[in-house]
Amino acid sequence: MKLFRRFSILTLATMFVLTSAVAGSASAASSLKGKITINGSTALLPLTLQAAKEFQKLNPKVSFAASGKGSVTGPQAVSKGIADIGACDWDASTDVPGFKAFDGQVANKVAVIPFATVVNNNVKVDSLTTEQLKGIYSGKITNWKDVGGDDADIVVITRAFGSGTRVNYQAKALGGGDIVKKSKNYKEVASSGDMKTAVSTTPNAIGYIDLVYVNSDLKALKFNGVAATTDNVINGKYKIWSYGYYMTKGQPTGATKAFIEYVQSSKFQTTTVKKMKFIPLSAMK
Amino acid sequence: MSTPVHELTKQQSILVNSTTTSKFNRMARVRLTNRLFKGYFLFSILALCFVLALVIIFIGKTGFLTFNTLSFSEFFLSMNWAPEEDHFGAGLFIINTMILTGLTLLISVPISIAIAVFNAEIAPNWFKSFIRPVLDLLVGIPSIVYGYLGMTVLIPFIRDLTGESLGDGMLAAALVLSLMILPTISRISDDAITAVPKKYREAAYALGSTRLQVIFKIVIPAASRGIVTAIILGMTRAIGETMAVVMVIGNTAQLATTLFTPSSVLTSNIVMQISNVEFDSTWNYALHMMAFLLLAISVLLILIIRFLRAKGVKEA
Repeated sequence: MKLFRRFSILTLATMFVLTSAVAGSASAASSLKGKITINGSTALLPLTLQAAKEFQKLNPKVSFAASGKGSVTGPQAVSKGIADIGACDWDASTDVPGFKAFDGQVANKVAVIPFATVVNNNVKVDSLTTEQLKGIYSGKITNWKDVGGDDADIVVITRAFGSGTRVNYQAKALGGGDIVKKSKNYKEVASSGDMKTAVSTTPNAIGYIDLVYVNSDLKALKFNGVAATTDNVINGKYKIWSYGYYMTKGQPTGATKAFIEYVQSSKFQTTTVKKMKFIPLSAMK
Repeated sequence: MSTPVHELTKQQSILVNSTTTSKFNRMARVRLTNRLFKGYFLFSILALCFVLALVIIFIGKTGFLTFNTLSFSEFFLSMNWAPEEDHFGAGLFIINTMILTGLTLLISVPISIAIAVFNAEIAPNWFKSFIRPVLDLLVGIPSIVYGYLGMTVLIPFIRDLTGESLGDGMLAAALVLSLMILPTISRISDDAITAVPKKYREAAYALGSTRLQVIFKIVIPAASRGIVTAIILGMTRAIGETMAVVMVIGNTAQLATTLFTPSSVLTSNIVMQISNVEFDSTWNYALHMMAFLLLAISVLLILIIRFLRAKGVKEA
């Protein structure tokens, strides 16, 4: 009984302290206020969180609720009115393979995301062409010797249907070609992290991933002879990249508008975006 | 905590009343606390029931929307799962789930019962008191740890051993799951075997049985109900396990024709696809239907356990 009473007093005290703390932080001076809910792509989530942190320093009355799931949940949450911003790896206001356009949504570019074709370190091949990649992913080419490598079966690792990375890779690297399920030597993984682990631990594996994940554990292939580097994306030689978008219902307004403008501002783009290994929008002009 | 009110005798309560004139005396406080706690306990259980009902209703309601656009037979019998082309045949996942569970039990049941028998019948006391906490600890290891070990240790090993180029599939998943449910089955069977009365064994020995005969002809049959309960509990864990399976099964919607075919089961398919589907689509409904199916299977298994227990109590 005594213990119980002590607990309830403790709880009350904690609640009181918390309430006053929240009230205290909200009373700082700023003109903007409101709550911005952001949903969608996990690829853009680190960028979003960092941006929210910086934006909140300038506008303490704006609060954020950001979460990451699949890309498609972003525009969906926006159309259902759950979220103000839907982060998506493709322009969801247009049709892409597998997903219809979301009517009435505006796509706001926020960063450039480069992707890379990756293979296990034991693969001897250094470069593949669009046609060769198409052949591999459609199941017509099944042995590395057909594309200039050793005599070994190709293990295809791919993201699940609906992944933003897969949508972009299919469109840019495979020229809209299909990824066909094979009975053997074919595996689907759930996230970029899983893709990295799977390709780096499976001999003769090929996969695709955001460029920021590439390190010495696996090998990034040249695409049509062009190396996957941010420089080659900027100078237009390397084609496998896409914009990351913030989808909004109609033109953004109020705090949401200010936040998107902050993310698109040259100050944020040249510092944080670069630091997080995305490519600034301004570099693509 | 405090003394319950009804245990105070009349004399005591008179005594209490005579010593204090305040209305809010010890009696009243005790009564109030008791009532408060009764309310709190009742609220806890009702809240749980409410949430459970919500889960079943929500999953079921969304799941059965599948059949607005899809026939029962296509969903349950078709082996073609290609949501991007509007084929929603969950039959292959159901069959794969059964294969995986069967294979897992095939591997884990003999081993775990052997562990249980050894623990309960043969092992010296110091060894028992060492191995039981170890098994309890194994039950508590998060499944993602098993999955990660499966992916980084077991799969390369399978690859080397068999010459397969991928190694993901039923065998890897069944091995990981077996390791996971092994402690569950052996701990509960262990308890069941220990609970068999000593006089049974003594009677058997008196009639001239060997130790092996006592174990196989007396102890295991006498503990069989407890062992079956243990196996079913392990089975529910195997059927519902997701993370560990996702990491080693290959996640490809096809029937597991060999031990090394990358395939997918109900749980792994749901977790792989649920974040990438549109809310109002047959695809989403079909995934919910699969979740409902899993729910139904576990309810069924729990009912079987209850039934077995009730019967056991009656016979004892």
